[in-house]
Amino acid sequence: MRKLFVASALLFSSLTFACEDVIIENAFARAVPPGQPNSAAFMTLDNHGHHDASLVSASSSVAEVTELHTHTDVDGVMQMRQIDTIEIPAGQQTHLQPGGLHVMLIGLKQNLADGDQIDLTLTFADGSEKALEIPVRHAMPMGHTH
Amino acid sequence: MKAIRYLILLSIALVAGVLIYFQQQPQPAEQRVLGGSIGGDFTLMSADGPVSLSDFRGQPVVIYIGYTYCPDVCPMALAVLGQALRNMPDDQSEQIQGIFISVDPERDSLEHLKNYAAFFSPQIIGVTGEKSEIDQVVKQYGAFYRKVEMRNSAMEYAVDHSSRLYLIDREGQLAALVSHNATPDQLMHNLQQLLEH
Repeated sequence: MRKLFVASALLFSSLTFACEDVIIENAFARAVPPGQPNSAAFMTLDNHGHHDASLVSASSSVAEVTELHTHTDVDGVMQMRQIDTIEIPAGQQTHLQPGGLHVMLIGLKQNLADGDQIDLTLTFADGSEKALEIPVRHAMPMGHTH
Repeated sequence: MKAIRYLILLSIALVAGVLIYFQQQPQPAEQRVLGGSIGGDFTLMSADGPVSLSDFRGQPVVIYIGYTYCPDVCPMALAVLGQALRNMPDDQSEQIQGIFISVDPERDSLEHLKNYAAFFSPQIIGVTGEKSEIDQVVKQYGAFYRKVEMRNSAMEYAVDHSSRLYLIDREGQLAALVSHNATPDQLMHNLQQLLEH
C-alpha cells in the first residue's frame, strides 16, 4: 500500500503541467485608439518547473484571431513576423514586451480602453491551458507605463 | 609550397565571400540617413485636407513614418511623443507639431489615421498619400519600408519599416533622429533644444 502511495506520488510529481509551472506576471494588453482593428498583449512568463515549456497559442473573446508574433530590429528596420511557439526554458523567464515578442490580438470586437479588463487564455505545448484576466493600459517602452 | 598556394587561394575566397555577404546586407538606417542631405518639404493628405511640412515653418515638427497595424514600435514611438508633449509646459508644447505618416494607405483610411494620431496627442496629425508620394517622402528622409506577405496569418501582410522620430527645426531642416526607444524625458529635452533656436 505504502509502495503504491509512493509510486503514485512520484508519478504525479513528474506530471506537472506547464500551466502550473509557468507563472504569468505583469500581463497587460495595449490600449488602442477607437476603431483600431488590432492590439497586442504583453507579459513575463516565469517557468519555475523542471521542464521546458512552450506557449503554442492564445485566445481571447475580444479578438477574432489571436497569434504569436515577434518583432525584431534588423539594422534599424523593424520586422514583425508570426511564430509558432514561444519557448520558456525550465527555470527561466521569457519576456513578451513592446518591441519584441507579443500576443497579437487581430480583429478586435470591442474598443480596448485604458482601465478595461479582458480575458486571455494561453495554451501550452502539453495541452494545458491558463485562463487570465488582464488589464488594458497605455504602453511605454521598457516598462514605462502610464 | 603547394600548401601556401592553397592557403592564399583559400584566403582570397574567404575575403571575397565576406565582401559579398556584407554587400548583400541592407545598409543600416543610420548610414543611409547620414549618407547625404536628407529631409525637405512634402505634401500628403489628411482627413482635413492636404498637409505640407512647410505649413509649419516657424514651428519645430516631429515626423514618424509607420502604419497603424503596427503592433508595437509605432504606438510606442507615438506614445513617447505624446508623453513628451504632456510633460512640457503648455506654452512650449503648443508650438510643436507632430506628423504621423502612414506607409500603408491600403488599410489606413484618412479618417482612421486622424483618430489614431489624435489618440496619442491632439498635436499629432495623421497623413498618407499615393504610393508614389509616400515613396518620395520615404526616400527624402532616408527611411525604408517594404510590404511583407504573412502566410497563415490573419494579418495578411506586415510592413517592415525603419523606426525613427525625425526632429525638424523651425526652418524645416532635419535637426535630429530619435529612436522609438527614447524615454519621453529624452525626447522632451531634444524638443526643448529645438525650441531654443
